[in-house]
Amino acid sequence: MRLSVRRGTVLLFCVFGFYTAARVLYHMLACPGGLTRARRLSVRIRDGNRTQYHYSQYSPVVFVGGVPRSGTTLMRVMLDAHPLIRCGEETRVIPRLLAQRHSWRRPGEERQGLEDEGVTQEMLDAATAAYLLQIIARHGEPAQVLCNKDPFTLKSATYLSHLFPSAKFILMLRDGRASVHSMISRRVTIAGFDLSSYRDCLSKWSSAIESMLFQCTMVGSGRCLTVRYENLVLQPRSTMQQVLRFLDVPWHEGVLHHELAIGKPGGVSLSRTERSTDQVIKPVNLEALTRWVGHIPLDVLEDLENIAPMLSRLGYDPSANPPDYGQPDPEVVNNTQRVLKGDFKPPAHLKKISEDEKSKVLKRKD
Amino acid sequence: MRKQTHSVLLACVVISSITIFYLSLSAMECPNSRSRGVWGPNQHLSRNLSYPMPVSVEYNEDSPLIFVGGVPRSGTTLMRAMLDAHPEVRCGEETRVIPRLLAMQATWSRSARERLRLDEAGVTDEVLDSAIRAFLLEIIVGHGEPAPRLCNKDPFALKSLTYLSKLFPRAKFVLMLRDGRATVHSMISRKVTITGFDLTSYRDCLVKWNRAVEVMYDQCMAVSERTCLPVLYEELVLHPEQVMQKLLQFLEIPWDLSVLHHEQLIGKVGGVSLSKVERSTDQVVNPVNTEALSKWVGKIPDDVVKDMADIAPMLKRLGYDPLANPPDYGKPDSLPLNNTKLLQGAKTNTDVFHPS
Repeated sequence: MRLSVRRGTVLLFCVFGFYTAARVLYHMLACPGGLTRARRLSVRIRDGNRTQYHYSQYSPVVFVGGVPRSGTTLMRVMLDAHPLIRCGEETRVIPRLLAQRHSWRRPGEERQGLEDEGVTQEMLDAATAAYLLQIIARHGEPAQVLCNKDPFTLKSATYLSHLFPSAKFILMLRDGRASVHSMISRRVTIAGFDLSSYRDCLSKWSSAIESMLFQCTMVGSGRCLTVRYENLVLQPRSTMQQVLRFLDVPWHEGVLHHELAIGKPGGVSLSRTERSTDQVIKPVNLEALTRWVGHIPLDVLEDLENIAPMLSRLGYDPSANPPDYGQPDPEVVNNTQRVLKGDFKPPAHLKKISEDEKSKVLKRKD
Repeated sequence: MRKQTHSVLLACVVISSITIFYLSLSAMECPNSRSRGVWGPNQHLSRNLSYPMPVSVEYNEDSPLIFVGGVPRSGTTLMRAMLDAHPEVRCGEETRVIPRLLAMQATWSRSARERLRLDEAGVTDEVLDSAIRAFLLEIIVGHGEPAPRLCNKDPFALKSLTYLSKLFPRAKFVLMLRDGRATVHSMISRKVTITGFDLTSYRDCLVKWNRAVEVMYDQCMAVSERTCLPVLYEELVLHPEQVMQKLLQFLEIPWDLSVLHHEQLIGKVGGVSLSKVERSTDQVVNPVNTEALSKWVGKIPDDVVKDMADIAPMLKRLGYDPLANPPDYGKPDSLPLNNTKLLQGAKTNTDVFHPS
C-alpha cells in the first residue's frame, strides 16, 4: 500500500515535470530569439590611423564616479594618460538618461502602461545600452578600453553592470569635509546641494556616498573598486598599480605624468567648461588635501557624526582636523613644490572660451 | 536503503520540476507575435504577399520609417490601425517613451549654454544624434513584429518632426489633423489626460490644441512634400479609399484592400495589435465610421464659441470655419456610410450606451 502511494507521487511529479518541460520547449520553439537574444548592439569606429574599433555591450568599459569633488576627474585623466584607455570628459547626458530610465521602471500605473504597449523592460534596457554605448564610444577617440566618468553614474552601478556585462567600476572616496569645502568654495553647482550650507552639503554627501557604496558592494569587489582620493595623491604609484591590476591593464609609467599628455592624441582631453580642468592640468599634488581645515563652521564640526555618519564609516576621523591621511611619496612632494612655484599654466587651447566662439555656438540652429 | 534512495529521488524530482516550472514561467512572457531583430529568411509572413520579400533587413539611419502623429484625439490611432492592416506595415501601440526622449533632447538643445558644455565634452550633435537614433531603433524595431516598413505612432513625437527627419532622412511623416473643437470635445468628454491640457476648460484646451497643432503643422509644411503628408481626419472617415490611396502613394507602398477593413485584422498576426490601456482602443475595433465627426456640436460653452476665431486661429488656417457649428465636412462614401449605419444599429440594440 505504502509503496504504491510513494510511487504514485513520484509518477505524478514526473508527469508534471515532463509537462512543464514540454511547455518550455514549445515556447522556446515558438519564440525565435526568446532565450538566445541576438543583440545587435555594435558600434564601429575608425581612428586617425584607419584602425577599426568594434564595440558592443560586451566590450570592457570602465565607469569612474563618486560624489563630485572627490578626485573623479584626477582619476580619469590619469587613466586617460594610459595609451590603452580613453575616458574623456563628463558626458552630462548619461546621468540624465539613467534618471529617465529609472523613472520608467517605477512600479505601479506608469510601468503597467508601458508593459501593455509592448515596450518591455528588456527593450528599454537594450535601448538604453545602445544609447550609452554610442555616447561613450563616440564622444572621444577610440581606444581598447573605453571609460566613462560622470560622477553620479555610480548610483546606477548595479544597473550598468547588468547592461554591460564586462564593465568595471571605480568609486572615488574622499573625506566629505574636503569634498564639501571644495564645492562651496569653488561654487560648483550640484543638483540637490545647498551651497550656502556646510550642514546641508555634508548631509547630502553622506547620503550620496552611502548609496554609491551600497551599489559598489552589490556589484562585488571583482567588478567595483573603491579608491581613496587621499591615497591617490599621497601614493599615486602604488594606488595606480592597484587600479590597473584591477582593470586587467598592463602598467604604463605615463599614468603618473598625465600633465604631459594633455591635448595630445591618445592622451588627455579636457573641457574648458569643466570645473576641475584648472587643477588637473597640474601633476598629482597635495594642494587640495587639507584646504578644508578651519573652514567648516564650529556648530557643524560639533554635530559631524550625526550630520555625516558616512565620514567615520569610511574611516575618516570626524574629530580630527585634519586626520592623518598618510605619508606622501617623494615624487608627489616634488610635484607640489613645483606647483606652488607656479610652474604649471594652462596651455593655450584651454584658455577661457572667447566670446566669438560662444556666439558661434549660440547662433547654431538645429 | 531503498527508502533513502527513494526519498532522495523524490527530492530531486521535486526540485527539478520546480526549476523547470519557474523557467517556463519566465519563458512564457514571450508571446507568438512578438519577435525582434533582423528580419531573416526564417521569418514566416503570416499573410501572403504578391511580391518577393527582402531576405534580410538591417534597420539603421537609412530605414524608411513611418512616423504617425498629431494632437491626441485627432484620429492618430485610426490611422495607424489602418496602416497596420497593410501586410507590409507594422506600427504597433504607442511606445510612450519616444516622445519623452525627444522632449529631453529638445530641452538640452534649446539651452545655448548646455550646447556649449556638451560640445566641449565631445558630445556633439552628431554623437547625440547617433545615440538617439540607436535608442529609437531599438524601441521601434523591438516592440512588435518585424515588417518591411516599420512605423511608429506616438502623437507628440511629431513635435520633433524636423529633428526626426534629420535623424532618419528617408523617414516619412503622417500628420493627423482634425477640427480642434472635435479633438478638444473628445479629450474632455472621455477624460483623456494630456500633459498641459486643463480638462476642466474648453478654452484652455483649445488654446493648447492651437499651439500644439501649429508647432507640428509648421514643421510639416517646412519639410518637403515627399516627407510629410498632412491628413484630415474628416476626409479619412468620409472618403477612406481616396485618402488611403493618396497616403499609400505618398508612402510608396503598393495598394492593399485590407487597409479599408482593419477591423477584420485586429489581434491577428501581421495585423493590428491593440493596447488594453490606450483610450482609442474601444473605437478602432469598429470599422471606419463617421460617429465621432460632429459630436462636439452644442457641447462647447457659448462664450468660447463666440471667441473661437481668436482662441484657435489654426482652425481657419487648416480650413475649418471657426464660426460654423459644425462646418460641412462633406458627404460620406458608401463604405463609411454603411459602417456607421451598422454601428448605430448595433448601438440601439444594446442596453448600455457607449459614450463617444
